[in-house]
Amino acid sequence: MSEQKIVTVPEIATIEEIKDEIVDVKTFYLRFDNKEIDGNFKIKSGQFIMCTVFGAGEFAVSLPPSPENDRFHITVRKIGKVTDALHDLEVGDKVGVRGPFGNGFPFEEIKGKNVIYVAGGIGLIPLRSSIVHVLQHRNEFGRILLLYGSRSPQDLMYQYMLEQWQKIEGFETFITVDNGTPEWKGNVGIITTLFNKVEIPVENTVAFVCGPPVMFNAVIKELMQRGIKDDMIISTLERHMKCGVGKCQHCAIGRTLVCTDGPVYTYRQIKTLGEQI
Amino acid sequence: MYLIKRDDIKKIAHALEEKYTLYGPYLDEVYGQCFFDIVNGDTVNVNAPIPTNPPKQVVFPHLEKIMQYKYDKKAKKADIAMLFDDAPRALFGLRSCDLTGLQCIDRFFLGQEFVDEVYRHHRSRMFIVSNTCVVPFKQCFCVCTDSGPAANEGYDINLTDLGDSYLAEVGSEKGKAFIEAFHFPAATDEHAKLKQKLVEKSITMFEDIAVESKAWVSRVMNRVTTGFIKEEIWEYIGNQCLECGACSYVCPTCTCFNINDASTVEGNTYRLRTWDSCSYEGYSRMAGGHNPRKPIEDRRNKRFFCKLSYSQSKKYLRPGCVGCGRCAWVCPGDIGLPNVVTYIRREIHE
Repeated sequence: MSEQKIVTVPEIATIEEIKDEIVDVKTFYLRFDNKEIDGNFKIKSGQFIMCTVFGAGEFAVSLPPSPENDRFHITVRKIGKVTDALHDLEVGDKVGVRGPFGNGFPFEEIKGKNVIYVAGGIGLIPLRSSIVHVLQHRNEFGRILLLYGSRSPQDLMYQYMLEQWQKIEGFETFITVDNGTPEWKGNVGIITTLFNKVEIPVENTVAFVCGPPVMFNAVIKELMQRGIKDDMIISTLERHMKCGVGKCQHCAIGRTLVCTDGPVYTYRQIKTLGEQI
Repeated sequence: MYLIKRDDIKKIAHALEEKYTLYGPYLDEVYGQCFFDIVNGDTVNVNAPIPTNPPKQVVFPHLEKIMQYKYDKKAKKADIAMLFDDAPRALFGLRSCDLTGLQCIDRFFLGQEFVDEVYRHHRSRMFIVSNTCVVPFKQCFCVCTDSGPAANEGYDINLTDLGDSYLAEVGSEKGKAFIEAFHFPAATDEHAKLKQKLVEKSITMFEDIAVESKAWVSRVMNRVTTGFIKEEIWEYIGNQCLECGACSYVCPTCTCFNINDASTVEGNTYRLRTWDSCSYEGYSRMAGGHNPRKPIEDRRNKRFFCKLSYSQSKKYLRPGCVGCGRCAWVCPGDIGLPNVVTYIRREIHE
């Protein structure tokens, strides 16, 4: 059987493990009950799925696992009716999955380039897939940098991964928090303060940016000032979604639909869409 | 082509009624309005004016159950079943604008990368009898949007009122088989020419009857597509919008929908698909409250982008507006599509 794309009827998946990340954010490791799907559910970095919480509804969520050699999981913040219900589930409970949908991050196109990841708060979740994938192919890229900021040390996503990443040679990680604690030894200040402390490559460089709108706009400004072109800045957008396949139109932005034309856009595209981030 | 006597037209409706659920225009005596809904061979009124609602609800119901599931939390067992409805339905006396609208929805739901299975089932066993408008109505502007006054395609049978009788044209194999059974007398080229004359006459009548509804769509398409329209114009349009969503509900081509899961006391849950409108504030609001499209003018220009832009036309293979004039009819503000086109045109000086 070839690659699976589940469009109409959700496939049932079992929650194998639940991991507490930060306050209100949990990671759910999933496995499809249908063995044929389980082995053939191929994703691309940057794609998303529609996840059904039985009795509550369906929500769109980005996929943090790498397309290669990674456990299938989603990381979800408790923020609305359906995600609240998801957080109440236990190991062994079932959820429904449709997808994967969307275009995904470019991978082949950015080979040979320096890669900068700039993430704010839970903006690290959708970027995780690409980071892990790029690290799996470390020697096909130039410098790899991660600039990551969150409100406080308790709000840092994937802390166990961050610790691992910091040990990887050739992966330059810089972490900052807006408000430090007595125990915090690292940088304190908003994410843009990192830009003055890090030597940012400009030539032959692609930047992935993901975070809340305020942070996004500030980071874009810094990157552009340094001379990184708008088509070399890549982000993934979030929108209210219902169908995931370009029919309900809720995620329309400009002339595109985030579910089928996105969710990954270059900043050059975002500028022409004529809508807020 | 066949000729059908005026009194015999009901025969067609009665015959359809036997095999299909019959939908058509009827005059509601209480409201004094014409609606498009389930009728029978006696109540259907081919001569009724253009109905207040398009036939959209037949293929895309206002509220419909598209999926049913039951989750047994103790046994950790989930059963999911899609609910498809492919009951045979006949649309009788469809105006060309509404038929064009139906074709737009067809292309949108069936003609792209993903096929909407729920819609495909609705559409799978449908019989369509369209009706040529030999006289336009007050709010019509189908001549501006190339969708009338006579249908060119998409019907099984097309009727044209020639005066003492109707001309019936066949548009499909299904339509041919159906009408042959009646043994109506065949029509000649003379009748076809007469129809052509009536259509041409109908077009000239727009000038006198549909005085206020004109939309020079091609003139604004470029501007809407490229976005070279001043923010003040959208604000002016947005200020008149009451966010009632009526324009979307009566539009033959508006198909935005919302999805909700509703549970019953027995523990069954239904996934419901309901109509939605881009004019509502909650339309683009995400969990957590962030709404990228907060100001009303942002949302208003979305609707007209959908109807008038080239990018959206690629999905419909024509402009998204079919010139039925219902949005202008129902709008409590003054921003029906013809007016919006006028507002934008006023700003174009070259």
